[in-house]
Amino acid sequence: MTQTLQILSEAFILHPSGGIFWEERSLLLISDVHLGKVAHFRKFGAAVPRKAVHQNYILLDGILRHFQPFQLCFLGDLFHSSLNKEWDLFENWVAKTPAKISLVSGNHDIIAPEKFSALGIDIFKELVLDSFLLTHHPEERENHFTFCGHIHPAIKLQGFGRQRLKLPCFFKTKHQMILPAFGEFTGNHTLTPTKEDEIFAIVEGEVVKI
Amino acid sequence: MTRQQLFEIANSWFQQQGWKPFPFQKATWTAFLQGKHGLLNAPTGSGKTYALWFPIVLTYIKNHPEYKSRHKKGLKAIWITPLRALSQEIQQSAERIVHDLELPMTVGIRTGDTSTKERARQRTTMPDLLITTPESLQLLLASKGYATTFNDCTAIVVDEWHELLGTKRGVQMELGLSRLKTVCKDLRIWGISATIGNLEQAREVLLGPGTTALENSVLVRANLKKRITVKSIIPQKMETFPWRGHLGLHLLDDIIPIIKRSKTTLLFTNTRSQCEIWFQKILEKYPEFAGEMAMHHGSVNKETRIWVEQAIRNESLKAVVCTSSLDLGVDFAPVETVIQIGGPKGVARFLQRAGRSGHRPGAKSVIYFLPTHAIELIEASALQVAVKESAVEDRLPFLNSFDVLVQYLTTLAVSDGFYPEEIFPEIQHTFCYQGITEEEWQWLLNFLVMGSQSLKSYDEYKKVAIESDGKFKVNHKGIAMRHRFQIGTIVGDASLSVHYQKGGYIGSIEEYFVSKLNPGDVFVFAGRNLEFIRIRSMKVQVRNSNKRTNKVPAWAGGRLSFSSQMSALLRLELYKAATKTATSPELKALEHIFNKQREESSVPKPEEFLIETFKTRDGYHHIFYPFEGRAVHEAMSSLLSYRIGLLSPITCSLAFNDYGFEMLSDKPIDIQAVLDNNLFTTEYMLEDLQKSLNSNEMARRKFRDIAVISGMVFTGYPEKGVKLKHLQSSSQLLFDVFRDYEPNNLLFQQAFTETFEHQLEEGRLRLALERIGKQEIVWKQCEKPTPFSFPLITDRLREKLSNEKLADRIKRMTKILMK
Repeated sequence: MTQTLQILSEAFILHPSGGIFWEERSLLLISDVHLGKVAHFRKFGAAVPRKAVHQNYILLDGILRHFQPFQLCFLGDLFHSSLNKEWDLFENWVAKTPAKISLVSGNHDIIAPEKFSALGIDIFKELVLDSFLLTHHPEERENHFTFCGHIHPAIKLQGFGRQRLKLPCFFKTKHQMILPAFGEFTGNHTLTPTKEDEIFAIVEGEVVKI
Repeated sequence: MTRQQLFEIANSWFQQQGWKPFPFQKATWTAFLQGKHGLLNAPTGSGKTYALWFPIVLTYIKNHPEYKSRHKKGLKAIWITPLRALSQEIQQSAERIVHDLELPMTVGIRTGDTSTKERARQRTTMPDLLITTPESLQLLLASKGYATTFNDCTAIVVDEWHELLGTKRGVQMELGLSRLKTVCKDLRIWGISATIGNLEQAREVLLGPGTTALENSVLVRANLKKRITVKSIIPQKMETFPWRGHLGLHLLDDIIPIIKRSKTTLLFTNTRSQCEIWFQKILEKYPEFAGEMAMHHGSVNKETRIWVEQAIRNESLKAVVCTSSLDLGVDFAPVETVIQIGGPKGVARFLQRAGRSGHRPGAKSVIYFLPTHAIELIEASALQVAVKESAVEDRLPFLNSFDVLVQYLTTLAVSDGFYPEEIFPEIQHTFCYQGITEEEWQWLLNFLVMGSQSLKSYDEYKKVAIESDGKFKVNHKGIAMRHRFQIGTIVGDASLSVHYQKGGYIGSIEEYFVSKLNPGDVFVFAGRNLEFIRIRSMKVQVRNSNKRTNKVPAWAGGRLSFSSQMSALLRLELYKAATKTATSPELKALEHIFNKQREESSVPKPEEFLIETFKTRDGYHHIFYPFEGRAVHEAMSSLLSYRIGLLSPITCSLAFNDYGFEMLSDKPIDIQAVLDNNLFTTEYMLEDLQKSLNSNEMARRKFRDIAVISGMVFTGYPEKGVKLKHLQSSSQLLFDVFRDYEPNNLLFQQAFTETFEHQLEEGRLRLALERIGKQEIVWKQCEKPTPFSFPLITDRLREKLSNEKLADRIKRMTKILMK
């Protein structure tokens, strides 16, 4: 169900929930969870089903159980909007999560950094680990390979009999890997790959190389 | 004053104009003055406005004999019109009476086009006679102290009720009326409707089943017989006639003599893009019409539309290319000829359009029918019969539209707040909610207050609050503001306004179309070639261009289905062709096409059901011809492909039109197995249909409207510059979330009920299947596409259905990509 690839001779495992596990560093990368989005909508009078709030935590627990990483890094847009009561749920979740958590902040992350540091979460604008760059917005930098999010990439497929499909995907160019949005209740944006690009679509609990 | 004296006033006014009141006008006056409610069945241009403005004014005179010296300001009557464009016309006739009778009454309009200044003025002093739309009426109910505004209102007239009846705007109207019945001390409710099949029901929906209002009401019929002649434009050379021209432009030369012969001609097209193209092409080929020809559709700006309407009245235009935007209201005496381009899809609509011509008393209405593909000539032949037998269809009213109810209750909570025990009985007496249960009601109230059915501590849901005395009220300013923006039940794609760079508004187009444009691209809009420059603050900036282009904005919606009456007529015509007993010129002209169809496949006889299969480079085509109308075909194709999928997993895309439906797949379907397993059975029809819906997208699309109407999705207001991006979500996402977490939500469920009742017409599907059960199946395995199949296989708008594992499909797809 997962896919493993070598980038600059290090091993990375792509998980169908949208995370990437970096084996050598035992580091799990997750992007665009948009926590608090359901609560935010409800606070403004749009009755999104309340039960959907918990789904993101169930998914997070699932992937953490699978990889048991030492470190967890969110690549931005962890929270959808300003502070709301979903923060309490997040606090509880952080408390019972053994991995060391850090956040590379994105355009949606407007919650005060102190709130995060109080939970022991470090915030970075970007992170450089050897030849790897972790950012929120896609960026190609010389002599680096980038992991980023922001786009919520998806891909469209066509087949015989005028069939069409749209699927969220990991989008890898030569020097960059764009992660799909991890969160439930997030949209996506269709990208058109060129010949050099590698696409790993998420299909019914599987990562499929296209 | 006695009724006789009052009638004298009206009669003498008619005499001064040199007119004589029609019996239906007198009947309406009498009933109104007797205090009755009612429904007036009268066509456009028959003097229906005077049938109701007069008794309203006479009632005022009767109640205020000293009106000349002592006039009490404030709302006396409301006139509801479904189209803003009609309000001017209605205002003019009201003002004419008021002026001639020297009454101190004022007439005002309040629609989406009314300026903020004018609105503010109306808030302090309402005009005596108010002309407005269903949405603006709801907005009045959303303003504080609305009860005082409506207190002295004695009449409400709902014009073009047939247009509202089968829509959610009709439901909105029902709710508005249910409130006004209580708020106004002495109210008469009247509807005006063109002829539809279910007039009696239309009256019941307007007044509410089992109400005293319905008991004390009448149905007045105008019974103005009109002679209508239908002439088909039959191509000279059938060989060159394309199967699916879609636009009918190849017959352009044939209509020029018709336009030249008559004073003013209206050309009705079915879509706005078709309208744009026809206008463009006529001018290109016959530049001499420049200045004498205009275009009219819903997205052209208001000033232009009004100008066009005025120009028609002044007889300064030779031809106007238009859409349904000119279907209603406005009376254009100078129109001599009407041309219908493409199938009108319904008898009532066709008759109404035909009625736009020859408005002079005793004049004959002439309508030309221009087919856009060959098979439409069969339609033309069927329309001839329909006109002769004056067969018209029903308008199906909505039931249990909880989305509209949620919106309405929020509206009341926004203004003065409401007490459930007061509102519930009102709602139970509307047609739409006559079957609402106590549980459903309680569910809705919970939904309004908690956004769910139980309270959780971390939840901050905020919308309607319950005050200590039990009143439901919105106290949050932001929520109230967003709700007012959102009132209205017509849901469209987000639209952007089109402006010249220097300013100057041209009209509006859908965001979907703009998203495909690059700077420098040229497109046709409002009859001009425009170059796209950029989007700035939700406005599309353009400049004129001389470049030729064939890009025309497409507007969604407007895919109409044949009514059952029309389908039956169509089948009869077709059978005439099959049995070679055809006599009409239309069918005769089609003879060589029927011959070709016979050669490749077969022309079905009444006791036959035709199935064709063949392969093209698109895939394997399986085509079925029930001739039951688009809606039934949509349902049948969904049902059938679901059942086929039970035999072996399948993925197919579905296309349907009024004649049949196609299942296109990347693998052949075993038709013999379909027949052997009796897949057309009515047994378990409902269950299967329900399951089939889970695997396709119809309910999903219905849910879009429901989510917007009930306020779960906020669309924002680009025109007003209000951007609420952080609150925008796609209803697609929301649909998935509901399916996974709250499948028993009433609003989610509604998407499915609506699909069954309104889109798929379950009842008709059953009858159609029963009919097929008695027919002999004719399965033709063809070499290539047949004439009948052509319009179907070229249709690009498709439903998709699959019960295969996605991973399996993708593996097949990637194989193709790699080749």
